[in-house]
Amino acid sequence: MPTFDFLPLLWWGLPFVAAPVIIHLINLLRHRKVPWAAMEFLLASQRKYRTQVLLKQLLLLLLRVAAVLGIVLALAQPRWKSALGRMLGGARTEHVVLLDDSYSMGDLSAEGRIGDTRCFDRGRLVVERICAELAAAQGQQEVAIGRFSAFDEKGSTAADRPAGTAVEAQAAQQGFDIRLQPVTPRLVQEVRDDLAGRSPSAAASGPRGAVAAAAGMLGGGTGAANVVWLISDFRLKDWKAADETAGLLRQLSDAGCEVRLVDCAAEGGNGRQPGNLTVERLEMAGGVPATGVLVPLEVAVRNNSDRPVRDVAVELREDALGRPGVRIAEIPAGGVGTQRFDVRFTKAGPHLVEATIPADAVADDNTRTMAVDVVDRVDVLLIDGDPSGGGRAGDAFYVATALAPGAGAPTGLRPRIEPPRSLTTLDLAPFDCIWLLDVERLDPPEVAALEAFARAGGGVVFFTGPRTKAEVVNRVLHRGGEGLFPVPLAGPVDLLPDAAGAAAAPDVVVEEHPVVAVLSGQRNPLLDAVRIERSMAVERGFEPASTSGLRRLLSLRSGGPLVVERPYGDGMVVAVLSTAAPTWNNWARGNPSWVVVMLELESHLARTRRRAESLEVGESVSVRLDAAVDEIEVDIAVPPDGTLVHQTAVALPAGGLEATLADTSVAGGYTARWRRLDGTERERLFAVNVAADEGELERIGRERLDRVLAGVAFKYDRAESLEPDTTTLAGVPLVKPLLYLLAAVLILEQLLAYSASYHAAARGKSAA
Amino acid sequence: MTPGSRQYLHPEAIARIARLELRARAVVEGVLAGLHKSPYKGQSVEFLQHREYVRGDDLRRVDWKVWGRQDRFYVKEFEEETNLRVTLLVDGSASMNYASGPLGKYDYAATLAASLAWLALSHGDAVGCSVFDDKIRASVPPRTKRSHLASVVEVLETPRAGRPTAFMPVLRSLAETLPRRGLVMVISDLLGDRDGVFQGMQLLRKRGHDLVLLHVMDDDELDFPFEGPTRFEGLELPDALACNPRSLRAGYLAAVEAFLADVRTRAAAVRCDYSLIRTGEPVDAALVKFLARRASMAV
Repeated sequence: MPTFDFLPLLWWGLPFVAAPVIIHLINLLRHRKVPWAAMEFLLASQRKYRTQVLLKQLLLLLLRVAAVLGIVLALAQPRWKSALGRMLGGARTEHVVLLDDSYSMGDLSAEGRIGDTRCFDRGRLVVERICAELAAAQGQQEVAIGRFSAFDEKGSTAADRPAGTAVEAQAAQQGFDIRLQPVTPRLVQEVRDDLAGRSPSAAASGPRGAVAAAAGMLGGGTGAANVVWLISDFRLKDWKAADETAGLLRQLSDAGCEVRLVDCAAEGGNGRQPGNLTVERLEMAGGVPATGVLVPLEVAVRNNSDRPVRDVAVELREDALGRPGVRIAEIPAGGVGTQRFDVRFTKAGPHLVEATIPADAVADDNTRTMAVDVVDRVDVLLIDGDPSGGGRAGDAFYVATALAPGAGAPTGLRPRIEPPRSLTTLDLAPFDCIWLLDVERLDPPEVAALEAFARAGGGVVFFTGPRTKAEVVNRVLHRGGEGLFPVPLAGPVDLLPDAAGAAAAPDVVVEEHPVVAVLSGQRNPLLDAVRIERSMAVERGFEPASTSGLRRLLSLRSGGPLVVERPYGDGMVVAVLSTAAPTWNNWARGNPSWVVVMLELESHLARTRRRAESLEVGESVSVRLDAAVDEIEVDIAVPPDGTLVHQTAVALPAGGLEATLADTSVAGGYTARWRRLDGTERERLFAVNVAADEGELERIGRERLDRVLAGVAFKYDRAESLEPDTTTLAGVPLVKPLLYLLAAVLILEQLLAYSASYHAAARGKSAA
Repeated sequence: MTPGSRQYLHPEAIARIARLELRARAVVEGVLAGLHKSPYKGQSVEFLQHREYVRGDDLRRVDWKVWGRQDRFYVKEFEEETNLRVTLLVDGSASMNYASGPLGKYDYAATLAASLAWLALSHGDAVGCSVFDDKIRASVPPRTKRSHLASVVEVLETPRAGRPTAFMPVLRSLAETLPRRGLVMVISDLLGDRDGVFQGMQLLRKRGHDLVLLHVMDDDELDFPFEGPTRFEGLELPDALACNPRSLRAGYLAAVEAFLADVRTRAAAVRCDYSLIRTGEPVDAALVKFLARRASMAV
């Protein structure tokens, strides 16, 4: 469809097309009159040539009309729009350009190898070209430009907001780098400058938020034509379950909005992508983060390719200082390779551990950090149910000894033995775990404090014993599954000796669980030596709900449970249905497996609290403060260069203070520092990492995309197809061909006019 | 005819001579000055007189005896056998009004008729003249007196009614009224009742008259040089035609050519001496050409 650079000239010129007809009509009135004698010859000629003359005259008139029309069109500077350019024509058009800046857009893959152009660079060029084209296009073109990462939260807000008013549409523009405004050459330059300084973010933002923001902005019903440009790499992980995004696009499409998808990812050579490895996990694999204690860490690397990878070197850094790295022998295609290593922190305080793999197609997922808050000793609260303390024969002694064997084997744990009432008098938050050892009864305030501790992520361990009353436990602690205690108890039962003899089967059976993983597999002589004489039986007929998460760690030879766990809130509760002291069993008496299992259990229960400090890019860094002891001003050092961002804590509706840094667009360690009222400085470290799944580079492919976006009238282009020069995009100028056509029409008109005898005869010819 | 006479006898020059009689004189004097012999001087055994030789006289007529006696050239003249009765029939219909130049067809025809009358009278022939359209509008019977030319001119200058032509009744009337055989010269554009022309001439022929048909047509009618949007309005026919003339020119010229061919054929059929005369041609030249051709036919 042609468009015109000077459309008003067309409208002004069109009336002139009627000029030949008017001149023809005037000439009919301006005939020279000649009295003529030889009329009979003239009439004879007229009868003979009437049809021919009439046709020639009509054709001549049409040619003259066409000639005038051609001149008018040429003055109006017509252009023929390309597929892209066509859509850019028209009166007022609002374009919302959404650029995917998730870190997978940093993919350097090209033709099956590592190239030097990122998807993001291609997308950036597409945005620049669209803007340049809009500036050259006819009609009023307006554009808004936004990046996916800017709508992770804001986008969802816009989607939830009912669109419909201009004010709402205006509000929906928040988050756009370029808000909706007319495209001018100056704006094009601004966009170019802005994009030149941008790189893919570390976020794993999908299209949903951005599309929702576009829907919110275009829902104002301004009467303009709307176009949404989605410039992305179209990875499978973003689109395979994109029902909500598809729904939003469908709404836009149904409302008459043009949906354009521009694929920036390079075509894989022979259908293969170069391998991309992602450091998927870096975390403590047990242990206690205390000074002088060997802390086992585990790094996991995912192989996002269709070929196995061997001998992957993982570079390790501890507080920015290099330390011996590790190697992962082989990572299967699409699988994960893990490697454990030990770290011994010498100083208390926050520490940052960093694991980096060699450069590959995507850089952002090659590094992962982990924050460890190392303390001199980790406090563990042991609630001893024996009013007399039990001495060296009590439950508390055996548990405390297992958790803190002595200076020769530092575990970093510092058990603190307290009576049950301390649950209400002590601040439970600093404790890693709370162990309740054959407690006869707990008052409701004590139960409430314990439940709050567990709900907040704390670990709780119950040991039963002679003082444990099943009825009390069921009523106060289990409460039909609502309470802390994982199972309802029936009462103590003796484990009868095995009829086949003592050597036939061990009393304890190891279940599939990480805490007892070290004991699983082949028969363990240490565990075989454990004899269970009595245990607390579970109420007959108890069937846990499928969603309860109840899980066995150890079972009895008789089939009954010995150790079970169940999540409670963010925390975990473990119930050992026998005594800690060698009252009902002999496990704690000189059996090393007792120490191992207790330490593993402690690490397992504390893991939830430690893991909670790992954040993903885009998530807020929040520092909870206590108004009674903390000042409200917090400085947060932002990676990579440690720029300080000052935040003031605000009161939370639920109570307490919190300082929040919402913008965590860069992966790395964020260090929050604040002062206490007593003048001491506090510091907390947050590890912010990229979402590991963004490193999965598999593309959704056109066919699958069609299925996902069924019902959406969209146009799919590859970035290369949108890279013709601006002239082509602006439309091919038609002036030159039009002038050629005009010349042809004029020549034809002259020939026909000569043929139709409208030209003066050559001198002397008439006298012949 | 001398080059000088040609120069002054162009239609434009003739047109400037207001009186038809003077026009005729100018034409005829030019003609006589250019002719080598007078076609109307008849051969006879009866001697009439001697006359001093003038250039163009036939050397066979020089009287060598007189030259021997007087050393001067005289030619002998003889009395003709018969007096020629010439009847000039000039078309005065509306179609003769067309004029593309200074002389319209009728003016040209009248000048031609007057010139012929002068020539005839100067040779002692009797000349009569009629102007007609659908009937004879004015007429004068044949006379031989030199002064009769004034009567002929008077007839030719008779105001015309602008009527269409009707040849047959005119020629029939003429055939019935002419008492003796003679020379009937019809000067017309022949537009109109074409069948009537030749039927009437056939009638005259049967009465023994010698027939001459001087077909006068305007240059425009023969060449059709018109350009630009033109509305042609019939002088005799009621039709009018608005057209681009050049688009119809070819068809028009073909029709004219067919018309002339038809006229020539029919004229030959009635043994009529036919001459086509264009109004753009000088009258004297047309007259000389006509007379020369007549002379060659007589030999």
